[in-house]
Amino acid sequence: MNLRSILSVGPTLWGIGIFLVILGGSAPWIPGFLLTLVTGLLIWATLAYSLNLITGLVGYVSFGHVVFMAFGGYALAFGVGALNLHPVVGVALGAAVGLALALGIGLVTLRFRGVYFAIATLVIAVAALYIVLDIEELGDGKGIILNPAVEPLSVFYTILVTLAIEVGVTYAITHGRIGYGIRSIKGDEDAANTLGINAARIKLFVYALSGLFAGAAGGVYAWNVSGAFPYSSFSLTFSLQMLAMIVIGGMGTLLGPLIGTVAVYLPSQVFLTIPLLSGLQFTVIGLVVIIIALFVPGGIVGTLRKYIPEFRGMLE
Amino acid sequence: MTRVLEVSQVHKYFGGVRAVQGVSLAVQEGNVIGLIGPNGSGKSTLLNLIAGVMKPTKGRISLDGQRIDGWPAHRIVEQGIAKTHQIPKPFLAMTCRENVAVAAMFGSNKQKDQSEALETAGRVLTLVGLEGKADSISSNLTVQERKRLEFARVLGTGARILLLDEIFAGLSPEELRDAIGMFTQVQKEVGFGALVVEHVMRAVLTVSGHVVVIEEGTKIADGSPREVVENPAVIEAYLGAEAVHAPT
Repeated sequence: MNLRSILSVGPTLWGIGIFLVILGGSAPWIPGFLLTLVTGLLIWATLAYSLNLITGLVGYVSFGHVVFMAFGGYALAFGVGALNLHPVVGVALGAAVGLALALGIGLVTLRFRGVYFAIATLVIAVAALYIVLDIEELGDGKGIILNPAVEPLSVFYTILVTLAIEVGVTYAITHGRIGYGIRSIKGDEDAANTLGINAARIKLFVYALSGLFAGAAGGVYAWNVSGAFPYSSFSLTFSLQMLAMIVIGGMGTLLGPLIGTVAVYLPSQVFLTIPLLSGLQFTVIGLVVIIIALFVPGGIVGTLRKYIPEFRGMLE
Repeated sequence: MTRVLEVSQVHKYFGGVRAVQGVSLAVQEGNVIGLIGPNGSGKSTLLNLIAGVMKPTKGRISLDGQRIDGWPAHRIVEQGIAKTHQIPKPFLAMTCRENVAVAAMFGSNKQKDQSEALETAGRVLTLVGLEGKADSISSNLTVQERKRLEFARVLGTGARILLLDEIFAGLSPEELRDAIGMFTQVQKEVGFGALVVEHVMRAVLTVSGHVVVIEEGTKIADGSPREVVENPAVIEAYLGAEAVHAPT
């Protein structure tokens, strides 16, 4: 990649890049409670981009994405707790576990299409919880508690860098030859195969990347909350929240997952602080997702692109 | 070297249904072979078997002597055999140019460079008379245009043997005349070999030099277009036994 191709990456990638750099530069001066909030936002953005890879770009709706997040979290908790690894190495371990799991699960489930794939991933997510509950090394059903001496800035920078890499990867695989392959599979997988595209391999590749980043995000999440606990780690609301984020932001776009994360995460946090509304956030998210799916299927970014011509060249 | 696709004694069973039973034929680069037969006679199944969409139950399919039966579809395209879909399957979110560029990037040409592939696509679209629609989103195309785009995509792969599934169906008499003219012209220019499955007799008899007739999965006749239409077995298959003996 030469300098010119780096400079010509388009306003969306530039915009996200500058946003992340400013965030990274100002982090040391951000007050503690706000830094926690932003770290949470970045973890969720990483998860949303991860789901966006397989669901937004390739068109395979996964309801079981929480599996990669949860095992990433357990990998970090086990690595840090039992093996005394540095948490950043633990996050890398989480990423590796996410990648390996996605390769294994994808090899089987990516043969199914449409709703059958969605069901298969959902079943795996439910089954995974009961497997973990029985593993002695993973807390024997009670989870793993870590020593809570967490340095907030380290967590913040780890997830910031992870997200930056992930956005870069998303851009790279949506442009160029493989991007055409991915779009073709989303458009019509049979036609893609008969034009020479090895759909099975491309799907597995994208799914593996998706698992890798979800695993890393899950690792950071566990680090941030100082442990991994079965019932909360494998909660299906995590899967659904990721899905809500990309549906609201705009599936398959470069900016959509970030916008969707902000649109879902910040209001949820507000709901959580008001006792009367706490717990209602999922009802509201659910309603918003239904409305978006019915009336504005492109999500926020897709709709802006559709109705405002000036945005079409700028927004990806 | 002239490339040859050979199909010998190919069978395909779906449970108890014997869709294809021991069909043999050959297609040489540069020649157009028509494949006709009544509805449900196994024509499309045979194309799917060759293209790798399905695996034959028995038999042998080879290209230049190398066995390719049972290979996945994408590898068969890489070898230079490409099939159109009976019901066109364009990538609806892409422009026509992008649709064909995908074929150029991933087909047997494997043009890794995007701008080269897009150029190839432009040339191919001109060949099939879709140059005016090159930058239209393919979901805006009419059925006739979609059929042409299917044809353009298989050309874009760089295939030397094309498997064309009813690309002349559903056209008005005028459109049919134009389509046949376009096809003949492109075939002469590109020099591909083709196996053309067709219901429209006028089209298949005009474009092919040799015609194979199958009925209930078995080959019943084989010859020049004229020989085939005069063959009693073929008349019987299409019109019933009385037609053969009817006074004319």
